[in-house]
Amino acid sequence: MSVDPRTTVLDRLWSPFEGQSGSRRSLLLMSPLILFELLVFVVPFLLLVRISFSEQSQGLPYAEGTFTIASYVQVLQSELLQGIIAYSFKLGIIATLLTVVLAVFYAYATWRASGVQKSALLFSVVLPLLTTLVIKTYVWVPLLAPNGTANSLLLAVSLVQAPLQMVPNTFGVVIGQVYIVFPYAMLAIYSVLTTVEWELVEAARDLGASRTRSFFAVVLPEIMPGITVATVISFAWSVGAYSAPALLGAGSDRPFALEVQEQMLVNFNWPIATALSTVMLVLMFVSILVIYAVLGRFGGDVANAT
Amino acid sequence: MPRNVERLGTAAFRIGYIAIFVVMLLPLGIVVATSFSASGNLQFPPQALSVQWYSAFFADVVWLRAFDNSLVAGIGTTVVATFMGITAAFGLEAHRGRFGSILTPIVILPLLIPPVILGVTLLVYFSRLGLRSSYLSIILAHSLWATPLVFFVMQSVFQRFDWQLRDAGMDLGANPIRVFVHVILPNVKSGILVSALLAFIISLQEFVMALFLSNYQTQTIPVLAWNSLRQSLTPIVSVVSTFLILVSVVGLLVAALATNIEFVAKRLS
Repeated sequence: MSVDPRTTVLDRLWSPFEGQSGSRRSLLLMSPLILFELLVFVVPFLLLVRISFSEQSQGLPYAEGTFTIASYVQVLQSELLQGIIAYSFKLGIIATLLTVVLAVFYAYATWRASGVQKSALLFSVVLPLLTTLVIKTYVWVPLLAPNGTANSLLLAVSLVQAPLQMVPNTFGVVIGQVYIVFPYAMLAIYSVLTTVEWELVEAARDLGASRTRSFFAVVLPEIMPGITVATVISFAWSVGAYSAPALLGAGSDRPFALEVQEQMLVNFNWPIATALSTVMLVLMFVSILVIYAVLGRFGGDVANAT
Repeated sequence: MPRNVERLGTAAFRIGYIAIFVVMLLPLGIVVATSFSASGNLQFPPQALSVQWYSAFFADVVWLRAFDNSLVAGIGTTVVATFMGITAAFGLEAHRGRFGSILTPIVILPLLIPPVILGVTLLVYFSRLGLRSSYLSIILAHSLWATPLVFFVMQSVFQRFDWQLRDAGMDLGANPIRVFVHVILPNVKSGILVSALLAFIISLQEFVMALFLSNYQTQTIPVLAWNSLRQSLTPIVSVVSTFLILVSVVGLLVAALATNIEFVAKRLS
């Protein structure tokens, strides 16, 4: 019998693992990823927090080895930065509400579709999801500009008399941001929808419920977990939006991501940039907990009522 | 009367989802269309057609270097993310240790953090390590996003795998690595292909972290596209965008053929 050289290599590879228990082996297999998350995610965040407590320095990004809460005081007291934080949240809330409502609708339509139609609807969200943010943002400039495609159409059918100012404007930012987060929200809801049994809806309709009623009473409570995930993703990314406000927004409406980028890469004021990032992370984390609590209760109540 | 109302409702429903379908895909079509524009302005529909911006792209060393950088980052991310994602998913599924419950949330968390904050955090960290603007820093940053996708694709692939086949192999005296290569691998290779493709595409398209972590020498295509857009809207950006869209379309079609689009779509959420 000839020995396949590949299998001897595999036997040699195995020898160090021999004699170890199943859970030790499992840990060994997971260790590259655990180590990676520790070194590239956990430790960097600890360093971020540490630098946010450093003194600001003239010539250097930050003064090493110092400890002060000055940057936090500055972030929390500055009216400019408060305005920036408020604008980020405003943008987050508007974009999230629009995205989630549209995503529920589109996910439902995709769930009800079949065959080629279903594949086409899925393709229409997966392709933009896998396309760079840069494209998804700048394409709205020629579309929404005063002499752009949308305005030409509106003027041609006499819906408006003068071109609408859509970019640079918060309107354009919201459109761009919804376009960016919509695929993620839609797929989060869609994956939960596919676990719902259509027979339940049919039963409700047989019992006389209208289509709208059967949706709100039967489908909606079932997909609350998906809606919660969609809300959290849309909110987190829209509060942290960078590309849409940078390219489609007016200079006066600045969300925190633009401010952080400027402090970090233009002003080299790392303590302010990291303190602002930390404050935003804490605020977003609290908001996400609130979203979970509110939507969780809502879902629970509806589930109990039916 | 109720019949009519119902028909009206159906029509409104259909118009609604067709409208969203068009709005989702039309912008990408417009990008492709503007890349063939004869004028230097970005407008749709283009007044006259030409391929001059394509020749401009291939004549520009800065764009070509960005292309190489994207390739290096993409391949590096694919290797790192696929290795870590597969081993972790396999470890979790094959042995069910107690670390699974901590691993999943930690792996998801980077996806929920705005990329600007991740960019700042990693810039601070990699500067400290002396890795600022290196390919390695970009690859590790992109792996933070690509690995969860590989992990979830492979987790669901391993869940569907018939583990009795593994046990049979073990009973016949093969060691676990041999069983993995000869029994498990042939059954999960389409899953590996899909996750590798997704990892590559994620890295190729990501730009906020890369913006923070790269410099003029190491900037990737989306970063260079972004920087040139901020100066002027030139059709050359539409040319590279067309290439990027094309890569995603082809990758997606291959992934959909290897499994199906529904499988791919659900893993992305």
